[in-house]
Amino acid sequence: METLITGFFIGCAFGAILYLGGATSYRRIMGTLLLKDMWIIKLMATAIGVGTLGIYVLDIGNLAHFSIKPVYVWGIVLGGAIFGIGWAISGYCPGTCLVATAEGKKDALFTLLGALSGAFIFSLLFPTIEALLIENANFGALTLEHLIGVQGIYLAIPLSAVLLFVAFFGLKDRYQ
Amino acid sequence: MENDYIISWKTAGIALGLLLVVATALVKPLGVSTQFVVTDAMVAHAIAPEFAESNEYLAKYGVPTNWLPGYGWMLVIGMLCGGALTARLFKSRQPQQDRGSMPTLWRERFGHSSVKRNTAAFFGGMLLLFGARLAGGCTSGHMISGISQLALSSFIFGIVTFGAAILMAKYLYRTPS
Repeated sequence: METLITGFFIGCAFGAILYLGGATSYRRIMGTLLLKDMWIIKLMATAIGVGTLGIYVLDIGNLAHFSIKPVYVWGIVLGGAIFGIGWAISGYCPGTCLVATAEGKKDALFTLLGALSGAFIFSLLFPTIEALLIENANFGALTLEHLIGVQGIYLAIPLSAVLLFVAFFGLKDRYQ
Repeated sequence: MENDYIISWKTAGIALGLLLVVATALVKPLGVSTQFVVTDAMVAHAIAPEFAESNEYLAKYGVPTNWLPGYGWMLVIGMLCGGALTARLFKSRQPQQDRGSMPTLWRERFGHSSVKRNTAAFFGGMLLLFGARLAGGCTSGHMISGISQLALSSFIFGIVTFGAAILMAKYLYRTPS
């Protein structure tokens, strides 16, 4: 029960940040995908920069509850490509379509309904897909820590520094 | 242009990063796309329990939670509430061009038809979740949470997704020759 309440409040904060920070703005999202308006990518790079450092600081005290997704090359590459195409067509991703729906945007509600259908179609095709794309070339839950053989924090610090530098100083909007 | 949202990308980015750290310390990292399956599983189980239990994928996400909402699902409900609440409180500070259900950019390129916009939004959503379930996550679970955990799968997902999305966006908004 406590976990459910925690989940609800983390979700509230997540939804509020996405709305207040303009992540539900079609103009901002498409601006980033058209490489003109760097707002969304700067927001994401900052979040990942702070998140990486924070998670690996937690990890030093064994306080991080990790959830690492396995590397199955075909499924991730194909799934990522399909996801990217859907992202550009709708202008939302699964999280922002929820928040934009709550905000009252009708096109986001249609994305939400499409998303529920897409998940349902996937569930019908799952047995075939699993055999072809998920069980083949599946290397398990790998992190750079395992791969490079250095304690995570020593990778997290430089990655975080690069991401924050790129977000704050590297990326510039390009309007003609 | 730079500072025309309710909070800046810096504030939003730092807040989101800190929220991810808090979530990882308390329960687990942020993730959204799984909950679309959980919702499908709940609906399917209510309407046709035999079908839901026989569908390997729905059953995988239905049974552990006894077909009832868990942490991740409550997080998604929270997102709806947090979004709805802040949208009500701060609507007047949202930039004019970001209000309403018909994005200006879309209208200039594809016309006024809301049927066209909503159809595209629906099919885009379908591809989003089909792709996210195939890859195992979306922008939050794979890109933001995954890369923050240094997961190799998430770096691959991030590169492929941005690559495909940029190409598709450039194709949709190509200058007519």
